[in-house]
Amino acid sequence: MFRRSLFILLLFLYTAASISAQSSTPIISGGVQFLSTTSGGATVFQPTIAPVVAIPFGEHWLIESRATFDEVIFRENGSTGPYHAITASSVDYLQLDYIVNSHLTIVAGEFLTPFNIYNERIAPIWIHNFSNAPLIEGIGTRTSGSSDGGMLRGVAVSHKNWELNYVAYFSALSTSRQFNSGRSAGGRAGVFLPQHNLEVGVSYQRFLQDLHLNSSGAYLVWQPNVVPLDLRAEYAHSRGGQGYWLEGAYRFSRFGGSDTWLGRLQALARVQQFFLGTPSPNDVLPGADTQQVDFGFNYYLPHNLRFNASYGRQFSSLGNSNVWNIQVTYRFLFPLLPGGSK
Amino acid sequence: MNPQIVFRTALIFVSMVAIAAAARDSSAQRQAAKPKPASAQSASNQSAEGERLFQTQCHRCHVPPEDLSPREAKAVLRQMRVRANLTAEDERLILKYLAP
Repeated sequence: MFRRSLFILLLFLYTAASISAQSSTPIISGGVQFLSTTSGGATVFQPTIAPVVAIPFGEHWLIESRATFDEVIFRENGSTGPYHAITASSVDYLQLDYIVNSHLTIVAGEFLTPFNIYNERIAPIWIHNFSNAPLIEGIGTRTSGSSDGGMLRGVAVSHKNWELNYVAYFSALSTSRQFNSGRSAGGRAGVFLPQHNLEVGVSYQRFLQDLHLNSSGAYLVWQPNVVPLDLRAEYAHSRGGQGYWLEGAYRFSRFGGSDTWLGRLQALARVQQFFLGTPSPNDVLPGADTQQVDFGFNYYLPHNLRFNASYGRQFSSLGNSNVWNIQVTYRFLFPLLPGGSK
Repeated sequence: MNPQIVFRTALIFVSMVAIAAAARDSSAQRQAAKPKPASAQSASNQSAEGERLFQTQCHRCHVPPEDLSPREAKAVLRQMRVRANLTAEDERLILKYLAP
């Protein structure tokens, strides 16, 4: 069934690409990653490929899709026994966008649920700094992190010193394996101050099936003008619990520029806390109050390669644990059709 | 280790190398086809403004791509118009910076 769906999808994308506008070319981009994670003495290897296809039409239309193919390789008894592998694939989004103007874009299809910023902006393997997702990732993104339906987004008000952006969406229930989603509605609003490189915003989601849960959240993204520092933070609350994460990334580009051996280095740190509420059966959240700290670094190699390593310590009444991650990520981009770059 | 797993892992690495090689070929073609840099002052100003916009709008999530053809950059920016709420003017100026 999946192969047939994939074949139809590829055929559709190829046909669309063939009749795409002459001024721009359909592209395939994305990332390839090899991740090694050691937690509690058990090591897991995870190669992943996440291609993104973008097919622009004319001046207003865009078809875009991302899929993820990965394999988890692990030992039967954690650190001993024979190796096993589980292969997984998923369509993260497949959407049709109509850009009316900068104030309004209409999106239909399967899209990433726009609750706070992690799921939509930071989760891709070539963007995230820490391989393990935040503890609160499960809030506002049930059931799969994707939604099937319609979305409106854009900049409501724009001034020289600030702009107000928004997203509003509705999702239908889908139990299809590749297009799984829950029935929900929600939105996000953010204020961006370009002169300070600061964005703050709030999110809300009403889950419209089973328990009819409310989730709310807030986020912050700040790149101070005076130091090469990226700060990101989220807070989220739902019946199942609440928590926050705060992440900082300092690039040593002050030492001779970003292309020097030291300038390619970026130091990372993250702190997060989760406080358990009233758990629901399908929550993807920790089973107890949990705190976690992570430290690591990115090293940006030439040719769009990135090396990343991190160490995390998790404190929980269910047991403390160390998490070591090492990953290599290659970011690729090339035309979908031969000769597309010319 | 299970031979099937070794085979799959090897297959994935071969795929990675193939993708890297394809991307590199594409990059080399682009280098060959790249037009000479515009000397006009206005083009330079637009590129500088595009760089400023890239730092403000795109750098929150992305490092600058190493090289893109104008047609590829246009497709990338169409995606970013949706994701990052860029205006048509932002798109035009960042295009000048990414693919002058």
